[in-house]
Amino acid sequence: MADYREAPLATRPKTLDPNEYFNLSPDYRRAEEERAALRANLKRQYQLQLNNPHRTELIEDPALTRWVYARANPYPHFRPTKKTSLLGVMFGVVPLFRPLCLLFALCFTDKFNHGPKCLMFIRY
Amino acid sequence: MAGVGFQRLAKALAKGKGSGLSALVSGCRAASGATKDSLPGAYPKTPEERAAAAKKYNLRVEDYEPYPDNGEGFGDYPKLQDRSQHERDPWYKWDHPDLRRNWGEPMHWNFDMYLRTRVDTSPSPVPWSTMWKQLFGFVGFMLFMFYMGEKFPSYQPIAPKQYPYNNLYLEKGGDPAKAPEEVKNYEI
Repeated sequence: MADYREAPLATRPKTLDPNEYFNLSPDYRRAEEERAALRANLKRQYQLQLNNPHRTELIEDPALTRWVYARANPYPHFRPTKKTSLLGVMFGVVPLFRPLCLLFALCFTDKFNHGPKCLMFIRY
Repeated sequence: MAGVGFQRLAKALAKGKGSGLSALVSGCRAASGATKDSLPGAYPKTPEERAAAAKKYNLRVEDYEPYPDNGEGFGDYPKLQDRSQHERDPWYKWDHPDLRRNWGEPMHWNFDMYLRTRVDTSPSPVPWSTMWKQLFGFVGFMLFMFYMGEKFPSYQPIAPKQYPYNNLYLEKGGDPAKAPEEVKNYEI
């Protein structure tokens, strides 16, 4: 597998990562084993619940709960900084005034105002 | 599980430390799903907090990297690689094959964007920079050329149209009795 080249639109699979074959340093191997142990533990928990014949309810996924909770509750960790205030103004305040500014520019400035027919191109 | 709870309920009622309802409430605890410390919290500042957060999210302590603490609302949620579900191995037996995800695996903050029906971060045939350059190069060039065409228009040389029969004297309502003036539109 040493001469494997990536398929054009796919990432290289983990099993064909050269680190799996050539990186024999104990630290790397230990790290990989720890990750595999975590994954195996989660798999075991899931399989126990899945194949339990007395189970009547849905299997709850705590990672999903944490994700939903994190996405739904960002405000306790919000702090007004330069970047967040700028984003807030750009997306929250500016769109409220865009139509008004457009109207102003079209009707009341000399550039666009060609007499009384100022708004006549806006037809329903 | 439910049987055990019922037994404890009966025991608490029998012991009856206080009135009936308070004994009920103190005696048995509903086995609720997520406890307070298994939910996401604030940004971890000390190494112990980091280790606890890594354990909570089922990550190695070395792998756990929270989003930078700049007030954007992430808290201690881990920063995972920005890889879409398109890129995951299609042949591995995932627990949830349509999502290509295992049970309990930490989810990316933008997981709902990286689904298989949405954003795809698979490698492109040519680097992104090349693609951007080609697109904007072409569009910019065309815009520039159209602009130059507006500024410096060039036409074919033209002259007024020449008609036969003395510039169509009779067709244009000329008097047939009178002799028209001779119009010569050619040179030999």
